[in-house]
Amino acid sequence: MITAAGLTKRFGAKTAVDDLHFTVHPGRVTGFLGPNGAGKSTTMRMIVGLDRPTGGSVTVNGRRFAEHRAPLHEVGALLDAKAVHTGRTAENHLLAMAATHGIGRRRVREVIELTGLESVARKRVGGFSLGMGQRLGIAAALLGDPATLLLDEPVNGLDPEGVLWVRRLVRHLAGEGRTVFLSSHLMSEMAMTADHLIVVGKGRIITDAPVTEVIANGTSPRVQVRSPQASRLADLLAGPSVTVVRSEAGLLEVTGVEASGIGDLAAAHALAIHELTPKSASLEEAYMALTADAVEYRTEAVR
Amino acid sequence: MTTMTTAPTRPGSMRTDPTTGLTFGGVLRSEWIKLRSLRSTIWSYGLVVAISLGMALLMSLSMVNGMNGGPDAASAPAAQQAGLVVDASVFGVYFGQLVAAVLGVLVISGEYSTGMIRSTLTAVPRRLPALAAKAVILGAATFVVGAIATFSAFAVSSVVFAGIDVTANLLDPAVFLPLLGGALYLSLVSLFALGVGTILRSSAGGIAAVLGILLLLPTVLQMIPADWAQDLVPYLVSIAGMNTFTSTTAEASADGFGVWLNLAIVLGWVAAAGVGAAATLTKRDA
Repeated sequence: MITAAGLTKRFGAKTAVDDLHFTVHPGRVTGFLGPNGAGKSTTMRMIVGLDRPTGGSVTVNGRRFAEHRAPLHEVGALLDAKAVHTGRTAENHLLAMAATHGIGRRRVREVIELTGLESVARKRVGGFSLGMGQRLGIAAALLGDPATLLLDEPVNGLDPEGVLWVRRLVRHLAGEGRTVFLSSHLMSEMAMTADHLIVVGKGRIITDAPVTEVIANGTSPRVQVRSPQASRLADLLAGPSVTVVRSEAGLLEVTGVEASGIGDLAAAHALAIHELTPKSASLEEAYMALTADAVEYRTEAVR
Repeated sequence: MTTMTTAPTRPGSMRTDPTTGLTFGGVLRSEWIKLRSLRSTIWSYGLVVAISLGMALLMSLSMVNGMNGGPDAASAPAAQQAGLVVDASVFGVYFGQLVAAVLGVLVISGEYSTGMIRSTLTAVPRRLPALAAKAVILGAATFVVGAIATFSAFAVSSVVFAGIDVTANLLDPAVFLPLLGGALYLSLVSLFALGVGTILRSSAGGIAAVLGILLLLPTVLQMIPADWAQDLVPYLVSIAGMNTFTSTTAEASADGFGVWLNLAIVLGWVAAAGVGAAATLTKRDA
C-alpha cells in the first residue's frame, strides 16, 4: 500500500509533481500513466526517498520508506535500468545489494534464474543490452521478496517475449497479494497489464480509476451508419448531446447515441438502414483525449 | 468439503526468512563486495605496491651508490643507518598517495556516473550508514595494502643497503612506526578523497580537486612571497602527512610539529571532507 498526500516536488521554478493525492492498493496492478515529463519517475523516486518532496508526504505501508527496518523487504524498485555499476558483474551487483540485508546467495541465485540471467550473470554489466539491464533491474527489485514493487517503464527495451514475461510476472505478483505500481507512457501496455490506472499530466492527477472505467469515460463511442436517406436521418438524430459527421454520401459518424437508439429511430420513421456499426473507442484515443492538455513535449505535425 | 480456497493476503512484508534485515554489518559486507569486485580497485592497489617497491629499489640504489665514495655509512650510529633504510622504504608513499586519492574518489564518483548510487541508496535509504561503511572498508583495505607496500619496500631496501653493511632492525619502533605511518597516511588520503568525491559527485572533478590539494597547493603556496603563505604550508594535508612518517627518524621535523600534531592536521582535513560529504549526501536528491 502506497499513500501519497499532497506530494509535491519543485525543481527551481518548475513544478514536476503538483499536490498528488493517491493510494496504491495491494492485490492488483496499478498503472501509472502519463506522457514523458508528467512527473511519473520523480514520484517513484520520492516513494523510495531518492528525491525529497518539496511538500506533502508519501508512505509505504504507513511509514516513510527510510523508516522501515528492512527497506528491501518492503519495496523492490526498478527505477531505471542504469542503476548498476557497469564495471561489476551482474552476480556481484546482486550479491552486494543482498548483503546489505543479510539476504543469502541462494536467493541471489533464485532471482537470477527467475529473470533468465544465468548465462550472463558472471559478465560485466557494461556489455549488457537494454533488455538484459532491465532484467537485472527486475532481479534486484525482487531480491528482498518485497510486499511492494515499483517498476518504472519495465518493458522498455524488452523483446516481445520479454514484454510478455513482465506482464505475466506483475500479474502473478499482484495475484499473491503484493502492491504493484507500474509506470508507462504506453496505454496499450497498461490496458493489458493494469487493473487500475492513475493518469498524470504536467505533475497533476488527471484520473484515478479502474482501467475499464478510464477507457469508457475517456471517449464517447461512435456509430457508423449507412443509409440511402442519410440526410433525413441526420436531421432526426440532431440534438444537444449528439454530433453527426457526414463523411461521404450516405455515410454518417454519430456520437452521443447508441446503435440501438439509431436503429429504433430509423424503424419508427421507416427509414432504410444499410449499415449500423458501433465503433468502440480505442485505448490510445482514450489516453490521448485524457492527456491532450497535459502533454509537456508536443511534436509539431509533419508537413 | 468446505475448505476456504482463497489464500489470505498477508499485510506488510512478504519475506520468507524473518532473520534478514538491514544492518550495519550487512552494509559493511556489501561495500566489501563492491570494492573487491571492480577492476579499478585491483589495478589501483597493485599500482600502490608496485610503485612502493620500484621507488624503494631506485632510492636505495641511488643512496648506496652515492655513499660509495663518501663517508663510511656502515660505521654510522644504528639510528642513522635505520633512518637511511626507512627513508628509502617510504619514498614510494609520495607517489602512492596519488593512486590512493584517485581510488578514493572513484569509489563514490563511479557510483554517481553509472547510476549505481540509486541502488545503493535504495538499499540503505538513511544514506549515512552507506557512506560510513564505504569509509571503513576503503580505509581498512588501503591501510592493509599500504602496509604490504611499505613493509615489502623495506625488505627491498634492506637487501640493497646490506650490500654496504647498512642495516635496520624491523623490531625497532623507529623502523616499524614510520612504515605503519606511511600505510596510515595512504589510508587517510583515500578517505579524504572519498569525502571530496562525495561532495563533487564527479570522477574528473573529484580527482582534479584532490590532486590539486595534494600536489598543487603546496607548490603554489611556496611560490607566494608572503609570510602567511609560508606559515600555511605545514598545515597542508600532504605536507603534514609526509611529516607523520618521516619525522620520527629526524630529531625534529622541519616544522617542529612532531608526529602527533601532524597526524592531527591530516585527520582534520579528513574530518572536514567527511563532514562536507555527510551533509551533502543527506541533503541532496540522489
